[in-house]
Amino acid sequence: MKSKLLSFPKLVAFLFLLLMAIIWVIPLVWGLVTSFKDDMEFQTMGFKFLPVEWVTTNYTSLLVDNYSTPLLQWFFNSLIISVVHTLLVLVVVSLAAFAYGRLRFKGRNMIFMFLMATMMFPAVVNLVPLYKIVDTLGWVNSYWAAIVPGAAGVFNIFLVRQFLANIPLEYDEAAKVDGAGDFQIFFKVVLPQLKPILMVVALFSFTGSWNDFLWPSIVFNDIEKMPITAGLQLLQGMYISQPTILMAGAVIAIIPTFIIYLFAQKYFIQSMSLSAGIKG
Amino acid sequence: MEVPVKSMEPQPKPKPKIKPDNRKSVNWTPWVFITPHLLIFSVFFLVPIIYGIYISFTSWDLIGKADFVGLANYKEILFQKDSSFYTQFHNGFKNTFIFVILSVPGCIIVPLLLASALNAKPRFHKFFQSIFYMPTLFSISAVVIIWTLMFNVNQGPINNFLGESILWTSTQPYAWAAIVILTVWWCIGGNMIIYQAALNGVPRDLYEAASIDGANAVQKFFKITLPSIRGPILYTVVITTIAQFNVYGQPLMLTGGGPADSTRVLLMDIQQNAFGSGQPIAGIASAMAIILGLCIMVVTFIQFLLLRNKE
Repeated sequence: MKSKLLSFPKLVAFLFLLLMAIIWVIPLVWGLVTSFKDDMEFQTMGFKFLPVEWVTTNYTSLLVDNYSTPLLQWFFNSLIISVVHTLLVLVVVSLAAFAYGRLRFKGRNMIFMFLMATMMFPAVVNLVPLYKIVDTLGWVNSYWAAIVPGAAGVFNIFLVRQFLANIPLEYDEAAKVDGAGDFQIFFKVVLPQLKPILMVVALFSFTGSWNDFLWPSIVFNDIEKMPITAGLQLLQGMYISQPTILMAGAVIAIIPTFIIYLFAQKYFIQSMSLSAGIKG
Repeated sequence: MEVPVKSMEPQPKPKPKIKPDNRKSVNWTPWVFITPHLLIFSVFFLVPIIYGIYISFTSWDLIGKADFVGLANYKEILFQKDSSFYTQFHNGFKNTFIFVILSVPGCIIVPLLLASALNAKPRFHKFFQSIFYMPTLFSISAVVIIWTLMFNVNQGPINNFLGESILWTSTQPYAWAAIVILTVWWCIGGNMIIYQAALNGVPRDLYEAASIDGANAVQKFFKITLPSIRGPILYTVVITTIAQFNVYGQPLMLTGGGPADSTRVLLMDIQQNAFGSGQPIAGIASAMAIILGLCIMVVTFIQFLLLRNKE
């Protein structure tokens, strides 16, 4: 009796989720299969979900054209920018979080409170002046423009510091008794224990950097230097009448974050509830 | 070996001075840890904020000298009806608000329903969860390219499914509908996970007690579920609203701001004025950005008040 009562809501939930999942997955599947359609077939044969004939010409013609839309170069640019940005964030954030969470020094709480308070300033306000600063540094059309400014954020420090608060102080103190200095404690004792949260910071930094759109489209106008998100806007203008080629471009741009998601899904899902738990 | 020792000898002599000793007691190590961040933070966040406020009081082309003009930029975009920037700003501001009002409910209600269904733990719920979260991780430019074709008049699956030939991206109200549908599809992942975590924390016996009292599923949802996760819902309303105020990529690449500028949002104007093809008008762009920023800050402040009340 009880199991029947339980199973009816479950069935309704299942059917609802199934319907929604189909809706959610259609654009992705359709985008993928369309990238394997022949453009002529797509334009003239009326609507068909699957390709009549599977072709790879959309990909090959994109990868061969290195002049006006160098997709491979864009992909490579994005990769360098995202990887270096992630490494920079990891170093900067773990160092700062350790100091604000573990070390005692004059002004510590004041500085940290100040940093937290600045989080309420929205980033839009910075757009114009940030461009001028980056320009003054000679970073327009340079990877650095997309790598460094994003590391100014405070939220990750807050997140890691919060995580640090749950790691018992005894480890630090034991190391201190053994004569370890702050640097040794940081590298030998604290850093290994921060691995789970730093993993989360790394994943979000990488995907955030890979997907950033507005800022790179402002700070890069050299086609050879821009990342793929900004490049796709050019691609859209270039191949507006050949949608199957556009689909191939979109699929290529999606691949890295998709692969990361396949392997690190649980980190993304854990981290969302983690950050909400802290803030809400 | 002896030479350095000798040269060191005279130094300890002026011992009576206390200052050097005091300096030694200051521990510089913490500063080594926080300086890298503080440096990046100052140059790329703190200085730009102050600089941006200053620019909004100037007339400037981003290259030459900035002329201080006081409140002229704000007056022009807010009140000077014959100025093209007035029209631009009022239109962009209105459209940004329309977008926020249209998209936020969807970005709250849809993930809430999904999370409730997932919370019943039906078969394959982990798999479903992965599918709903995934689009969030894709770049907006790739997402818009895919959806542009989804909404295509002749070849798009949506029109073919409906048996219609709607011009989704170039007529209203379809242009807004297309932008909002794309946005909801793209952005529900984070909120859904937050709701799932919150729903997990609602005590089971509350539902069991309600069942004994004869409450049905809908009653339980409104009487137990919603009140129990009020906090996380408020939180997501605020972060979603802030995120949607920054809308840019969807209208830019899906509708181009059309038809007739009816989906042209404020960030498109800011980008155009400061970095567009013409002469940069950085002062006006900055003033627009600061007004948009103030709106976002008001929302942030409301969040702060709500969280205060909760405690």
